[in-house]
Amino acid sequence: MRRVCFFILWFSLFASPAYTAENIVNIYNWSNYISNDVLKEFTQETGIKVNYTTYDSNETLYAKLKANPRTGYDVIVPSTYYVDRMRQQGMLQALDKSRLPNFKHLNPALLNKSYDPGNHYSIPYFWSTTGIVVNSKYHAVQRLQAWSTLWNPVYRNQLLLLDDVHEVFSMALMVLGFSPNDTHPEHIRLAYLKLKQLMPNVRLFNNDGVKSLFIDEDLTLGMAWNGDVYQATQENPALRFIYPKEGFVISIDSMAIPIGASHLNNAYTFINFILRPDIAKKISLATGFATPNLTAYKMMPKATLNNSMIYPDKKTLQRGRVQDDVGAAESIYQHYWELLKIGG
Amino acid sequence: MKVDRLFKGTTISIVWLWLSVFALLPTLLVLITSFLKNDPVDLFRWQFSLQNYQALLNPIYFRVFWHSFCVAGLCSLICLVLSYPFAYLLARLDSKYKNLLLFLVIIPFWTSSLIRTYAIISILKAKGLLNSVLLTLGIIHHPLTILYTSTAVIIGLVYSLLPFMILPLYANIEKLDTQFIDAARDLGANTLTTFTRVILPLTFPGIMGGIILVFLPAMSMFYIPDILGGAKSLLVGNLIQNEFLSANNWPLGSAVSMVLTLAMGVLLLLYRRANKIGQYHDEPIGEI
Amino acid sequence: MNRLARFSYLAVIYCFFYFPIVLLIIYSFNNSTYSLLWHGFTLDWYKQLGDDSDLAVVALHSLEVGVLAASFATLIGTIAATCMYRYRFFGKHLLHGLLFVLIVSPDIVMGISLLILFFLLHMRLGFWTLLLSHITFCIPFVAVTVYSRLTGLDKNIFEAARDLGATDFISFRRIIIPMLWPAILAGWLLSFTLSLDDVIISFFVTGPDFQILPLYIYSLVRLGLKPELNALCSVMFAITLFIVVAFQLALPRKVNQ
Repeated sequence: MRRVCFFILWFSLFASPAYTAENIVNIYNWSNYISNDVLKEFTQETGIKVNYTTYDSNETLYAKLKANPRTGYDVIVPSTYYVDRMRQQGMLQALDKSRLPNFKHLNPALLNKSYDPGNHYSIPYFWSTTGIVVNSKYHAVQRLQAWSTLWNPVYRNQLLLLDDVHEVFSMALMVLGFSPNDTHPEHIRLAYLKLKQLMPNVRLFNNDGVKSLFIDEDLTLGMAWNGDVYQATQENPALRFIYPKEGFVISIDSMAIPIGASHLNNAYTFINFILRPDIAKKISLATGFATPNLTAYKMMPKATLNNSMIYPDKKTLQRGRVQDDVGAAESIYQHYWELLKIGG
Repeated sequence: MKVDRLFKGTTISIVWLWLSVFALLPTLLVLITSFLKNDPVDLFRWQFSLQNYQALLNPIYFRVFWHSFCVAGLCSLICLVLSYPFAYLLARLDSKYKNLLLFLVIIPFWTSSLIRTYAIISILKAKGLLNSVLLTLGIIHHPLTILYTSTAVIIGLVYSLLPFMILPLYANIEKLDTQFIDAARDLGANTLTTFTRVILPLTFPGIMGGIILVFLPAMSMFYIPDILGGAKSLLVGNLIQNEFLSANNWPLGSAVSMVLTLAMGVLLLLYRRANKIGQYHDEPIGEI
Repeated sequence: MNRLARFSYLAVIYCFFYFPIVLLIIYSFNNSTYSLLWHGFTLDWYKQLGDDSDLAVVALHSLEVGVLAASFATLIGTIAATCMYRYRFFGKHLLHGLLFVLIVSPDIVMGISLLILFFLLHMRLGFWTLLLSHITFCIPFVAVTVYSRLTGLDKNIFEAARDLGATDFISFRRIIIPMLWPAILAGWLLSFTLSLDDVIISFFVTGPDFQILPLYIYSLVRLGLKPELNALCSVMFAITLFIVVAFQLALPRKVNQ
């Protein structure tokens, strides 16, 4: 018994990592958003060790940084309206673009958006769109070119919707002709009533298992992110992605530096490294997500360039909308979202 | 004896110190937050307010609590029914491999619950193992839709929480003195009577322990019901998760959590009152 | 009840536990990235696993925290259960209440409140905050398990021990612990299980330099479950099974007290 205790004490002393003031950078990113080779290449070139940890949603990232601003992350990668929210609440550091010479490679069409005018706080990392996913073996693709077609009673209990309040409400708002960032309480209420009508068609809400559900044909119709659908088509070629007529949401995941960052110089080095066209191309091809880096995009293989699923053409892109922080209207959205779920 | 007082003092202090810092303080933080006003930017304002608890008086929240209660209750019942014979048989096994068998119960649960849940999904899918087998055997002609229904949720919950019922039961039944059973037999009791009037009351603390460790977590679990149930309905756990993360309404989330704790506490008290057998020992033993 | 029926029931429940695991192992050889149906045999995922040295570090972190948290939680939980059983002291009911609150509290509430606590205490997030949090939420599970066994003990034993001159400490060490041994073991196992699999609390209280396995797995699901994870779980399962079985077979038969 005594031996066990000593062993455990020794083990605990040995187990705790020593905090050395090494040359490090703490990256907090979405999972599967980078390849290990790139991280190794970064360390080889710069000598900076990377502590790479991951999170699975903007909400948890935000809650953690809010509860404890001294968490010690140097680079985080929030999505559009969270950049907006964190920027407005003073959680992000203003970026000194003179330290990011590779910034010029970014696609101007994805810069200077309403969630971060002038990109003073965020640097786009990946971007994706939300649209309709349909299995062409079971449904006529031509009849599903708009969000409103999903309300057809013939699709009873067949739909997959993303489990995200803003994605789902954006869809309803766009069908009603409003902006996805609408803050007018009456418009939001109308969107809620519209969604209530859709509920009998909804089979489930899900963010994570979308790929396998569509590959294995458990579901054949719904809303999804283009990156997911692209990867799914590798295993089930019958899947199609549609950019609805009423409009669609563009999500831009951006790199940002939180206020409590402890290794500022290394953070800038890292961000500038990611903005290098060859690196941006590498991560995009490795993960299957669209890069906002224009120079990198032009270096892509022809097949990827022409893939409208990942890189929609200019005309289609005009129907896209980014999501901003809705401010005080958030509580109205949340209230109706809860009602929708409780009633379901 | 002085040495005794030292021992008593030390042990109680250790427990008290730990729980005060890491349990009492955080709980107080939650309690205080539940009485604050929500603020969209700073998450809460230092202003006393009862608005959170007032908001909870809305009957839709009662539906959420009731739904969770039913799910957790059903799950606990099934766990109890499945676990009791298992724990009993295992505990009364006269084998040198008893410890090994106990370990074998828990080892599957050292793999990530997430991955195990996905394994369950692959079994219950439309083209999954269960349907394939049943269709091939001709028992059914159309695939069963189990996934994304309450049935799948119950299966998932029972699967995850079963060891939390088995282990306390096992620990309790293991020390059951066979003399009581023999005595009952000698007095002419048949198997059923022996079970209901001797074994069951004696193992009651184990049952209570198991139910506590299954029912309470089941009330606040949200992850498994979300994945297997299709996230179409809101349970208490989802509600709290939602308030803290999506809605950024920490005061309301804290209030729901407090209400949950209170509700469970009341239930536990009522149950203990109703069943004198379940009373904890309040008289100390061997106090000077 | 005849032996066959008894063993059949045990076997059925064991199958229930192990079936998804067996499936997991089979899928780790599945030649498909995202599909959950069988597509052919491959060793790719094990190869990927071998190349991924980060994953090994992360898994090791989880094991470290698991063993330590379970051990300390078992210690404190057993002491807590014994104190509540034997002694009358100031704040006993509050202690009861706290243990209860710890079990009922949803993970997210505990995670955020602990995070705020660590912020107020100016503690750096990382291994120690993680360990302290894990110990805390494991304690009540040990306490409940141990307590449910304590309540059946014969009180006379303590009287007899006292008459023979044993101090409380000695009777704790020599009598209570051996008698509670199955409960203590059960408590340790429960704690280890809880710690290994905890996601939400760990997410909030860990720091940038200490990643653990459940967080790693959980965040991967967002973008599609990598079959490499199936391979990892299969390997971990095989190792733990091997260690446990070997350990048990190597031990001489223990004399029951």
